Amino acid sequence: MSIEVQSGKRGLTDPAMAGTILAAIPDQPLDTQRKMNYFVKPRGRRLSEYEVLCCYAQPTPDWIPGGLDWGDWTQKFHGGRPSWGNETTELHTTDWHKHRDPANRWHAPYVKDKAEEWRYTERFLRAYSADGQVRSIDPTWRDEVLNDYLGAFCFNEYGLFNAHSSASRDCLGDTLRMSISMIGFDKIDNAQMIQLERTFLAKLVPGFPESTDEPKKEWTQGAIYKGARETVQDIWQATYDWNEILWSAHMVYDPLFGQFVRREFFQRLSSYYGDSLTPFFINQMQLYFSQTKDITGDMFFHCLGDDAEFGDYNRRMLRAWTDKWLPRTVNALKDFMGIFAKVPEIKGVTSKDAVEAALDRVLDDWKRDYADKIGYKVDTAALIKTVLTGLK
Amino acid sequence: MAISAATKAATDALAVNRAPVSVNAQEVHRWLQSFTWDFEKNRTKYPTKYKMANDTKEQFKLIAKEYARMESVKDERQFGSLQDVLTRLDAGNRVHPKWGETMKVASNFLEVGEYNAIAATGMLWDSATAPEQKNGYLAQVLDEIRHTNQCGYVNYYFSKHYHDPAGHNDARRTRTIGPLWKGMKRVFSDGFISGDAVECSINLQLVGEACFTNPLIVAITEWAAANGDEITPTVFLSIETDELRHMANGYQTVVSIANDEASSKYLNTDLNNAFWTQQKYFTPVLGMLFEYGSKFKVEPWVKTWNRWVYEDWGGIWIGRLGKYGVESPASLRDAKKDAYWAHHDLFLLAYALWPTGFFRLTLPSAEEAAWFEENYPGWYEHYGKIYDEWRARGCEDPNSGFIPLMWFIENNHPIYIDRVSQVPFCPSLCKGASTLRVHEWNGKKHSFSDDWGERMWLTEPERYECQNMFEQYAGRELSEVIAELHGLRSDGKTLIAQPHTSKDGKLWTLDDIKKLNCVFSDPLDAL
Repeated sequence: MSIEVQSGKRGLTDPAMAGTILAAIPDQPLDTQRKMNYFVKPRGRRLSEYEVLCCYAQPTPDWIPGGLDWGDWTQKFHGGRPSWGNETTELHTTDWHKHRDPANRWHAPYVKDKAEEWRYTERFLRAYSADGQVRSIDPTWRDEVLNDYLGAFCFNEYGLFNAHSSASRDCLGDTLRMSISMIGFDKIDNAQMIQLERTFLAKLVPGFPESTDEPKKEWTQGAIYKGARETVQDIWQATYDWNEILWSAHMVYDPLFGQFVRREFFQRLSSYYGDSLTPFFINQMQLYFSQTKDITGDMFFHCLGDDAEFGDYNRRMLRAWTDKWLPRTVNALKDFMGIFAKVPEIKGVTSKDAVEAALDRVLDDWKRDYADKIGYKVDTAALIKTVLTGLK
Repeated sequence: MAISAATKAATDALAVNRAPVSVNAQEVHRWLQSFTWDFEKNRTKYPTKYKMANDTKEQFKLIAKEYARMESVKDERQFGSLQDVLTRLDAGNRVHPKWGETMKVASNFLEVGEYNAIAATGMLWDSATAPEQKNGYLAQVLDEIRHTNQCGYVNYYFSKHYHDPAGHNDARRTRTIGPLWKGMKRVFSDGFISGDAVECSINLQLVGEACFTNPLIVAITEWAAANGDEITPTVFLSIETDELRHMANGYQTVVSIANDEASSKYLNTDLNNAFWTQQKYFTPVLGMLFEYGSKFKVEPWVKTWNRWVYEDWGGIWIGRLGKYGVESPASLRDAKKDAYWAHHDLFLLAYALWPTGFFRLTLPSAEEAAWFEENYPGWYEHYGKIYDEWRARGCEDPNSGFIPLMWFIENNHPIYIDRVSQVPFCPSLCKGASTLRVHEWNGKKHSFSDDWGERMWLTEPERYECQNMFEQYAGRELSEVIAELHGLRSDGKTLIAQPHTSKDGKLWTLDDIKKLNCVFSDPLDAL
């Protein structure tokens, strides 16, 4: 038999070729270690498939803590800046490869989840439309609040999405890079879901504007999102430390401003205005928020805040970054208070006492789940008082 | 429209038509371009000398959820095949040993390329200004995570099922030892992520993906299938379905800069450098893996190269970009010469340095030698005789006390490493075009093997300072290096690397290597 075979011949099925192959295979395996990445320290009791497929994919040298490679970069930026370097962040660790997504999501489970959400979204919209539920939405809520202000929130999510580009380029570990890319992807998904809702409403409500013109005008020129816009712009383009980008976006701004806007405004109020559509989308965003919270919690609290050598230093840096980003976030919330003058008032729902209670929930959550974990002292009552000065 | 009238209109519309309504991905995507806004600080963190247009479109118009749906369907097919029918057929252990070893390298090194492409496309996502263009790069970021996981899955699968899991099971730790590693990092890692963002796109998308993924991801599946491996085609062809999007991204990168007249000053130089960078490694390494790492041959590498690289890419693909001022690289002609002998030259060196691998290599058998001679006349006289001599000295047998590296020293054939490509070469023995040039800079000597790389270094030496394996290991004994860099099997004494795949052959141990007392030296010190 010739060793050059015709194109399309397969060694598994061609009898002569298969015979040759089987004859070359030893009777016994040459090694007993059948677990890939057996040298990796598992987070749980056993190495997960996620850890097998993701850990140490990155070829970093050992002078970046946790790296397994040696030597220098084979090509650098013009001028000699390294491909990846410790100087890209103020934070330190003994191991940049330590992070794990608590949900163990590598690419396949991640897209499987999102694909299921998409399929269900399509089915839901068809049922919602056929059921005529759109008739029950309060017209002002629909045409002014959803169109202009939910529409404008699309840009908030789009800006935060873009803040992940440099973080996904510059971060120093493989599991970090995958997590950062995925939580960034969720943010553009949020932005697209908002436009999807507006497009859907435009199909059901003749005259409802599908265009992004009005929402963009509100985002770029309006007063309600002014503080938010300025903060998002700074997170996206004025911040170079990739850890600071993630900290400011996911540990300060979004758990406060994002949570208030999504959960305490659109989600809480929509049912009062006969809107059962918006909660469907906001709940998906809240799912992503929850998953992101687990991921960034692992990054900043478990890996960096509790690092055996640099934990104290890191927590100090995180407190300093919080000092920088919290006032901007509070200012964004204060500006957002102006939205309550735009909605038809419902006592106990949009009145000051209800807004204050909503702010209290958000700030209390943030204090417990974020600030306390790095020893950040915060007077939530004072912050609420500041925010409420924006209430018209 | 007044608010109350809108509600009435919605009610009336429902009365006329109660058919279910949904929204498709395209209806959302068509608004994407309007998602951005201007602000003072809006500029990329990765400056480029090119100007990317604000209105660039993407060809694959996806939204996040639709992307996930498409990829999830592909995953179901692929993992279904792997975990069901291929496992029941014991397909992972019905692969020819020579090819099973090749996949230790091919899958892991491709994984490095895919992994670094996550960061590369993250950089492009940052650099582009048009939301659609950003979206195209974003989908690629996710694709590259997918491909990293898929390549890992090939090694994972072979670790479980193939008869020699060593190397598959710890490639991410042991891959750094040998002579193929640093060159791979240049093309697949740093070449994608370190530099002007558009230059990196040219490396990754215009050359790496549009040119070399065809042989690396498509042609390899034919070689795999011929050698009994159905795992690789199942995974790699699924990867290739995404590569079309990446090629389109590369095309759109060029489109985005084409209207800027200044682009023409740089574009063809950057393309030429990128092509030479990529081909300098891929041409010899792919040819070596296919022809020397297989039992059954599909066709001579030079033919594959001519079809995919020279005609398809250099002619048709680059031809399509001609209207944007793109020209076939000037170095294409020199690369064509490399496609004939360079992989034979490289195998000679790779085999000489076999103990530093994380895979088993095999000398060509008599029938393979005849095939080489038939397809590359003059092969036996130059290479075949050397292999006969090595075999006669017992290079496969641990009791021989001989590894071919000793033959190079005995015969005064120093092996150098090209500073720019990190590819090893032996100027006194190579049949290809490599010639030795040495420069001194910053108190250090640097060797080069060709004009194009030397020119890149002379222009920007600070970009290419990486020490090579001989500089790194100089003065250290071989077994010490192997042990330190985890080149041992699970018994703690047998080498992962071996100079044969014979089922009856003895396996070399660390003690066998230690007896050789082989100490690394840097050949540049002798100049």
